[in-house]
Amino acid sequence: MSSMQFGIFTVGDVTQDPTDGTTPTENARIKALVEIAKKTEEVGLDVFASGQQHNPPFVTTSPTTLMAYMAAQTERIVFSTAIAQITTNDPVRLAEDYAVLQHLSDGRVDLMLGRGNSAPVYSWFGQDPTRAVELTVENYQLLRRLWDEDVVDWEGRFRTPLRGFTATPRPLDGVPPMVWHASIRTPEVAELAAYYGDGYFANNIFWPKEHYIRLIDFYRQRYAHYGHGSPEQAVVGLGGQFFIRPNSQDAVREFRPYFDNAPVYGHGPSLEDFSAQTPLTVGSPQEFVEKTLTFADFFGDYQRQLFLVDHAGLPTKIVLEQLDLLGEVLPTLRAEFDARRPATVPDAPTHAARVAAKQAAADAEAEVVTA
Amino acid sequence: MTRVVAISAGLSDASSTTLLAERFGEAVRRAEPGASFEVVSLRDLAHDITDATIVGFASPRLQHVIDQVAAADALVVVTPTYKASYPGLFKSFVDALDADLLIGKPVVLGATGGTARHSLVIDHALRPLFAYLQAMVVPTGVFASPHDWGGEGTSALDERVGRAVGELLSLLGGAGTGRTRDDGIDLFSETMLSISDPQL
Repeated sequence: MSSMQFGIFTVGDVTQDPTDGTTPTENARIKALVEIAKKTEEVGLDVFASGQQHNPPFVTTSPTTLMAYMAAQTERIVFSTAIAQITTNDPVRLAEDYAVLQHLSDGRVDLMLGRGNSAPVYSWFGQDPTRAVELTVENYQLLRRLWDEDVVDWEGRFRTPLRGFTATPRPLDGVPPMVWHASIRTPEVAELAAYYGDGYFANNIFWPKEHYIRLIDFYRQRYAHYGHGSPEQAVVGLGGQFFIRPNSQDAVREFRPYFDNAPVYGHGPSLEDFSAQTPLTVGSPQEFVEKTLTFADFFGDYQRQLFLVDHAGLPTKIVLEQLDLLGEVLPTLRAEFDARRPATVPDAPTHAARVAAKQAAADAEAEVVTA
Repeated sequence: MTRVVAISAGLSDASSTTLLAERFGEAVRRAEPGASFEVVSLRDLAHDITDATIVGFASPRLQHVIDQVAAADALVVVTPTYKASYPGLFKSFVDALDADLLIGKPVVLGATGGTARHSLVIDHALRPLFAYLQAMVVPTGVFASPHDWGGEGTSALDERVGRAVGELLSLLGGAGTGRTRDDGIDLFSETMLSISDPQL
């Protein structure tokens, strides 16, 4: 495992392939996600992350069900949400569900939290969309306590109070899943990540880098403010997207219809303009590596890079080919990022490393007591 | 140096709306010879504005204009009347601005139309929009119908423009709401404070 992690993230959308008009069934799409996760491990990547959405055209309503099935068929990759909704999920259920998944996967699970993709989803789950930020803060504070304390007394504004409650199973090895907070416009989320020393993730897909730089810089400053380390040592993850072929023109020709009809940015700017203005690369593997390396110039050296690959109606076969191509340039990406990275920047967090760190801290404390 | 930026939503090639913008320019230079006056034509940004409504961010070209607007001491806004209101392109441009970009910004409103019967477009369509944006809109708006460009009584247009510009420039001396855009991060909001102290 190199010091930086690479992986993919999916929102699990069911989208028509604009080149032949076919749309996969929900069943086919869910099964395809499993194939994609297995491929992620096969090509040497480190992370597979799935979204949680509660409206069509998405099939990712139940990330722990999906990822437990995938974890059973893989051995090495880490699973993460991208994102799980901290607003609409009961923090008690989050604590329980992800602890079970953590045990089943032998520590191969992270939890990336976010607010959600649409206003109605709050109402569907009995929450008030105008209180989304307060809900995020309170729910996370409770989740944190449920994992960090064995017995919890708690009272808040958004959930029934708890007396003498223990969330079971207790986290594996006494170390809960690594938490990342994702946001692209809410400073309170960056503050929450900084206060707890958690990771911070910017999806880095749809907008120019300037939109993300501001909040990542803020998170780094606040991480240092709360005494977790220097700003450079804060734990940052980024998204990205690409479509590559050995020949750059082939990539552009093949991806253009998918780009032009993509749910988020289709029928808007040209592929060329959008590529120039956002982190998207459509081109050769070399062009892809060069552009990805610039991320560290803009955001600082960071720990985790996830790519969106299966979207816009791309058939699974092409997605798997893209993962093969990503696997081929992966050693270059790892080597180039490692070469530029100062020794003071921490490695990507893993369960084993976090267990070791906890043990080391406990040993140090014991030594102080005996001395 | 006072910097005035005019936004013209005129869409035809020989646009009377741009003509009206230029009348404002002359009035500004007459009242304050050192002032700079730049006209931005939204027609040239039509594709960029449409793209911004889809992707949610401005192209470099559009961003340059938004930065110009943000840096201006005062704005002149002139638009033609389409179906009793401003054109959709004008609204799409406004939609691409951050909601707080024009807070406290001195603004004068102008409009053109094919008939004088549209003259209330300024007060019925433009003024409510700029009230929402919390801009400081001067009381005099200038509407120009085809009759204002030739024939008897055309000096009345320049008089109205001159009066509106006088009102606009009078706001630059420090009057106004005293409020401007604040895009810093507030570390002391109730929610922000509750993160490090859950008991709050």
